Amino acid sequence: MNLFAISGLLITLTSVVLIAILSVYGKNKLHRLWTVFNFSLIFLGFSLFKIGTSVSPGEALIWWKVASVSGGLLAPLFLNIIYIFCNLPNRKILYSSYLPVSIFIMLDFMNLGTYRLRFIYGPFYYLELTGFVLPLFLCLWAAILIYAFYALYKFYVSSKGLVRNQAVFILVGFFFGFIGGGTYLLTTFAHILFGKNIYPFGQTGIVIYSTIITYAIIKYRLLDIKVAITRTGIFVAVYTLVLGLPFLIAIWAKGWLIETFGPEWWILPLGLMGILATVGPFVYIYVQRKAEDALLKEQKHYQHILKQASIGMTRIRNLRKLLDLITRIVTKIVKISYAAIYLYDKETGDYILQISRDKHRISVPKLTSDNPLITWIRLKREPLIYDEIKRQTEYANNPVYKQLEENMLLLTASVVIPSFLEDRFMGFFVLSDKISGQIYTEDDLNVFQVLASQTALAVENAQFYEEAKDMQEQVAQAEKMATIGTMADGLSHQLNNRFYALSLIAGDIMDTIKMTNTSKCTPEVKEMIRQINYAFERIQANVTQGGQVVRGLLKYSRKGEAGFEAISLNTLIDNTLEMVQFKVRLSEIDIIRDFPEDIPKIKGNIVQLEEAFFNFIDNAYDAILERHALLKEEHYKGKIIISSAAKNNYLEIIIKDNGMGIKQEDHEKIFTPFFTTKVSARKGTGLGLYVIRRIISDMHKGRISFESEYKAGTKFLLELPIAR
Amino acid sequence: MPKLLIVDDEDDVREFAASFFRKRKVDTITASSGEEALSISERQRSDLVLLDIKMAGIDGVETLRRIKELDKDARVIMVTGRKPNEQAYFDKCRELGAIDYIHKPLQLDELETIVLKELFK
Repeated sequence: MNLFAISGLLITLTSVVLIAILSVYGKNKLHRLWTVFNFSLIFLGFSLFKIGTSVSPGEALIWWKVASVSGGLLAPLFLNIIYIFCNLPNRKILYSSYLPVSIFIMLDFMNLGTYRLRFIYGPFYYLELTGFVLPLFLCLWAAILIYAFYALYKFYVSSKGLVRNQAVFILVGFFFGFIGGGTYLLTTFAHILFGKNIYPFGQTGIVIYSTIITYAIIKYRLLDIKVAITRTGIFVAVYTLVLGLPFLIAIWAKGWLIETFGPEWWILPLGLMGILATVGPFVYIYVQRKAEDALLKEQKHYQHILKQASIGMTRIRNLRKLLDLITRIVTKIVKISYAAIYLYDKETGDYILQISRDKHRISVPKLTSDNPLITWIRLKREPLIYDEIKRQTEYANNPVYKQLEENMLLLTASVVIPSFLEDRFMGFFVLSDKISGQIYTEDDLNVFQVLASQTALAVENAQFYEEAKDMQEQVAQAEKMATIGTMADGLSHQLNNRFYALSLIAGDIMDTIKMTNTSKCTPEVKEMIRQINYAFERIQANVTQGGQVVRGLLKYSRKGEAGFEAISLNTLIDNTLEMVQFKVRLSEIDIIRDFPEDIPKIKGNIVQLEEAFFNFIDNAYDAILERHALLKEEHYKGKIIISSAAKNNYLEIIIKDNGMGIKQEDHEKIFTPFFTTKVSARKGTGLGLYVIRRIISDMHKGRISFESEYKAGTKFLLELPIAR
Repeated sequence: MPKLLIVDDEDDVREFAASFFRKRKVDTITASSGEEALSISERQRSDLVLLDIKMAGIDGVETLRRIKELDKDARVIMVTGRKPNEQAYFDKCRELGAIDYIHKPLQLDELETIVLKELFK
């Protein structure tokens, strides 16, 4: 077998691979056309192979015809691809480009295309040009190609982003391919013009074409053309050397080898091939790494920094600082004009803008959870690339792409990188175009995805840390309250004794003044006595007030010893309202008592029940405020209805509010200590309902349950024992 | 002249309360502790006792119990500086036969009303 035949075989094989890839990844009309193109190439490659191995001129002639037809078809097919890829109007030129090829095929079959064959370079027949038919068609063929390349080049200049990148691939790939394929003429011309024989090596270019395109499709979306060509080039060079060198030696130095080594001469090139084939992959890897290091120096540099940064990120516990750092890393090192981070908000389910890096731009404040972009990411879990989406809108008829494109435009996103923690879609990065105008490469996306998942982890960390800090503060607060309670117990006695003494002292003096006959005193003395009396009245009044303060303080003492008594629901509510008025603006809400006056009394501990009711009303009030703030309904007024009815030995009490209600997912958690949904302004201790349940179920052997609908209100049902 | 015994470990309380009731023709004697109150009660009978609960030594509740042992008809009003709703103390005192239970601090005229009502009924 000779090199010519081998290159033909290689063309066939690479085209088969290309078709295989296209059939797996191919989706649209362009891909299908491309497949047809490659079938043509298979025919061409195979016929070249057959020409190279033909032993009779008749056989060679048949395969030259096949080669001419399939090679000829490549030009209009290529033009067709360009038409579709560049979305060119005016299809007349395209259609008419098929005409000469059809005529040529007809002539070919009628044996009118004149071929003359001769031997060159050993045992195969090569084509010679005679007459005018073939040269004429060759000129037309070249014209079609020149026109196609010209159109592609014009498109390339005006395009940008991903499409531009793809245009480069096509341009370079096909250029190699056609130039290589076209060189078969070189041999013919060289013979005509110089009478010299040039070995027809050029069609190896077609292999290069296939390799470039294959690579581009595998790495499809985003790869630097420099890198692609270098990688392909290295691959071809190394393996040409590995597989070709022994062959060349075998061909060129055959005579010398036979002379030197005798009939076993072929062991040498075979051995060399074996050695080179073993070393080949290592050489390839080594050379490729070196080449990439040189080519991707800058890129490697920022990848390194990004990786370092993402490790450092997990150490930052403050969420705001963390997000700030991340955007700074992204915008400064990667040099993009705009970046933003959106995070999932548990309260609303929306994705809310946390930080954006560009003061002059007004960012979209949030995306709701039903936004097509959010739905898409949740489903696909992949970065979204604007250029690709745009391309899909042009090719596919799926309206989703259109929506995605619009949303990405709104976000001014060139890419959207989602951040997942296990199955939770925590948030996403929005990155604009690079300042350099370069596109985002596959490698870029990989790094950003690493950064995004690191971010998810770091954000989770920071959120957890902040929650833990909050919780610690709440525990500390609860402990403080408990301490105040205990202290209040001891203090109250002391304070009350002082107030009692003061009260008696002041009272006795005023009494003495009252009982003393002052009629004989001078007006000055009378005035003085009046003033003294007034002063003691004030002391008395202050003492009384002081006593009330102490009593108020005692309400926070949570000890409430175990005395049970008959308590009327009305008294309980009265006392609770008195306590709660310091925290709750009662005028803002309606509190409705919906039960008969003569409802049976509860057997209970008044301190504990007051505490429980305090928490009920406090919670309801917060829920009302929340609804007011979140839903912003007109004419909304908070309402708490307390109704009650006797049921056997139990008094059923229902406390119903029209506040925000409890989200379904929180229903199970509400009685858990330190669980709170109350927002920053009116922070809860997370103990309210826990305390309520302890008081109702544990202390009073009653029962508590609730029903709640988010955005509508909550209803607590209590059962407390009736006093006998 | 009705006889009133004021038991309190606060000097000021005893002095001024006594002064106040003496002006109202009440024979007022004072004791600074439970022990002193008991030794007085052993020697003479009072028409009414104002008894502070929290005191050093034996406390008001125990003093009440022993006074009642000495004289089961003794009329005692308990005075407390502790927090309201202390059901346990309240119940105990009622059980032991205290006739009322008042919370410090209170104004002198309120005390007057309560005490004079009990003394002159």
